[in-house]
Amino acid sequence: MATAVPPAPPAAKPLRGVQPLRAGQGNSFLWHKLHSLSGIVPIGAFLVEHIISNFETLNGPLAYAQQVKFLNSLPLVRVLEWAFIFIPLAFHALYGLFIAFRGRVSVNVYPWASNWMYVSQRITGVIAFLYIVQHVWRQRFSGISLPENPGAAFHKVQVELSNPWMLAIYVIAMIATTWHFAYGIWLFAAKWGITPGEKARKKFGYVCTAFGLALCLMGLASIYAVVWKYPNAPENVMPAQPAGIDLPAPSVPPPNSTNPDQPGEVR
Amino acid sequence: MAQSTIKVEIKRQPTPDAPSVTEKFEIPYRPGMNITSLLGEIALNPVDVSGRATTPVTYDSNCLEEICGSCAMLINGKARMACSALVDKLDQPITLAPLSKFPVVRDLAVDRSVLFENLKKVKAWVPIDGSYDLGAGPRQAPQIQEQRYPLSNCISCTICMEVCPQFNDVTNFVGAATIAQAKLFNMDPSGSVLKEERLRALAGDGGIQECGFAQNCVQACPKQLPLTEAISDMGRDVFIQQVKDLFAR
Repeated sequence: MATAVPPAPPAAKPLRGVQPLRAGQGNSFLWHKLHSLSGIVPIGAFLVEHIISNFETLNGPLAYAQQVKFLNSLPLVRVLEWAFIFIPLAFHALYGLFIAFRGRVSVNVYPWASNWMYVSQRITGVIAFLYIVQHVWRQRFSGISLPENPGAAFHKVQVELSNPWMLAIYVIAMIATTWHFAYGIWLFAAKWGITPGEKARKKFGYVCTAFGLALCLMGLASIYAVVWKYPNAPENVMPAQPAGIDLPAPSVPPPNSTNPDQPGEVR
Repeated sequence: MAQSTIKVEIKRQPTPDAPSVTEKFEIPYRPGMNITSLLGEIALNPVDVSGRATTPVTYDSNCLEEICGSCAMLINGKARMACSALVDKLDQPITLAPLSKFPVVRDLAVDRSVLFENLKKVKAWVPIDGSYDLGAGPRQAPQIQEQRYPLSNCISCTICMEVCPQFNDVTNFVGAATIAQAKLFNMDPSGSVLKEERLRALAGDGGIQECGFAQNCVQACPKQLPLTEAISDMGRDVFIQQVKDLFAR
């Protein structure tokens, strides 16, 4: 007797449109979390360091040169630079662009503050990305090399900012970057479950706003110092120094120094 | 203000693949109408504004009191429930369109099975089925009940998913409703037996990490679920589960 073949169970019709969760599959969770974390450490930590270091420009070209010299005399500084700045920054930027262009902006229909912040995080991220590419290229990898010539740092930036267009770009990028970082901290706390409650998120929002504003104002102050406070800075305020050796700063003002208040004692 | 008619423009399509057309209607004014009663009025006399006979508009609805979750649609461009959208409070002409992120079945009716599939993926249930009486479940402290009750109000209307910028066919994000239900059942003393499986499911592609915290879900939710709080809490739990799995499995 021929056995009847049982009818195959009807195949589930594939859904159209947005697909269901791929439960437990793929690695996007890991990449998203690395992206989120890398924005706080090391990139955010570096941004704070960078803005604090730049704040030394308010003490003049020599003080700034000494700060640059100090940073470049850190042990394994080139390794630190690649491992904690360039590589995480490149990952955060490229994966961030990938994330940004996967969203479907809807502020035209739902013009809510948090929805605008969602858009702002993507816009400021793209601005910061474009700015940082040119900034790293023009200030770190082309022109006079600052790790070997820390004394030339102030002048190099001053020449850059003598172009009013470049000055505008720096001001816009300073605002965009600190905005992105401040809201990024807030987002980190919200998404990692540090501030789940509505009140906690609101309070932490004030903290992040104050922090971002402080960073932004410090950054803008250093732009002010480079462009207006110490005009015509000498090309190099420190004598040539072998890499990795911290010579004492000169005790007399270098030639053409415009800042006689600062003869250059070791601080 | 004596208003004689209600102007409505409805985006319609007869089949899932047919191009959409907009039909205009003018309905005699009655006070206190909502969108579902308006659509019922059109069904009584399906004639468009130019006098041309047409078909009644297809749409999902059931309870008519914002508790079944079926009548979500775009009303004047925004996702909301048709039953609780009062005509007297809407700008005219009123535009009606199907939810934009779900495949259209016909007219204003869309296929929202993706939510059901997602709820199944995170096992959004309490596993108590068996061949014998399992007896009474564990006691649930009132503090837990109070946290769970708002989450249990979800009506699966999918508005949180419709308004989410991350819910689209590129990310295939799971959406706030499913994450909130996973939290609801993780907090159930009996349902928590599946907690780890739910947390692992939510770490898959399209999982909780795709949330961009635009918070549109919590703004738009007709039942005021604490969706962002649920996403935040579950974000922490999913992460901790991943770390535990990394070191302990």
